[in-house]
Amino acid sequence: MQTIWNIDKIQEVLPQRPPFLFVDKVVEIDTVKGKVVCIKNVTINDYFFKGHFPRNPVMPGVIMIEALAQASIILFAVLKPEVASKHPDYLFGKVEAKFHRIVKPGDVLFLEVEKKKILSGGGIVSGRALVKDEIAVSSQITFGVKPKKSRL
Amino acid sequence: MAKKKVNFEKIKEEIKKLISEITEIPIDELKDGADFTKDLGIDSMMALEMVAAIEKKYKIVVPEEDIPNIRNLKSIYEILEKKLKK
Repeated sequence: MQTIWNIDKIQEVLPQRPPFLFVDKVVEIDTVKGKVVCIKNVTINDYFFKGHFPRNPVMPGVIMIEALAQASIILFAVLKPEVASKHPDYLFGKVEAKFHRIVKPGDVLFLEVEKKKILSGGGIVSGRALVKDEIAVSSQITFGVKPKKSRL
Repeated sequence: MAKKKVNFEKIKEEIKKLISEITEIPIDELKDGADFTKDLGIDSMMALEMVAAIEKKYKIVVPEEDIPNIRNLKSIYEILEKKLKK
């Protein structure tokens, strides 16, 4: 599997940092379709398995949504580099999701996101998280992109 | 010509219904001239959803530069009327 963006490049774009960074690498970028595919390697070292659940590690659904949202930021940055380079804030607007399969340590999660509409101020994407060829989550995410306000 | 006008009245009704569903604002409160942000409290993400829903329904593309001009229902009708005439 070819690495198109490594973790350094990902951290130039995403504001999230470990242990809350859920994209390990980007393996596909299609600017024509407006699609990216990223990978998250799920391991027992992920911090959330400590409590979710003791002796029964299951990746939380909300974390999978977060992973898809982070992949969406990468898609946004690919399509609107002039906006993303200013490191704006990314905000959730609306999430619709269906969960199909549980995800456990050892699984390789493929995060596929495709644009429905991307503007400078936000976007709507459809996303799927897959393990092998099985869909774990399918979702539609609406997000906003706002210039960073100066903080005190 | 007259027939086309009748059809557009129908489209206006459809758009109102669509926007009412997205914003959860009752159809009676969606006046043609009401300002989306000031009068109806529609935020930019709802506006994005509206545009995406209209594009999907009528199979058109609303260019990004037209979107800031969408202030009320009337401006949506105008954009759509222009697009559908082509």
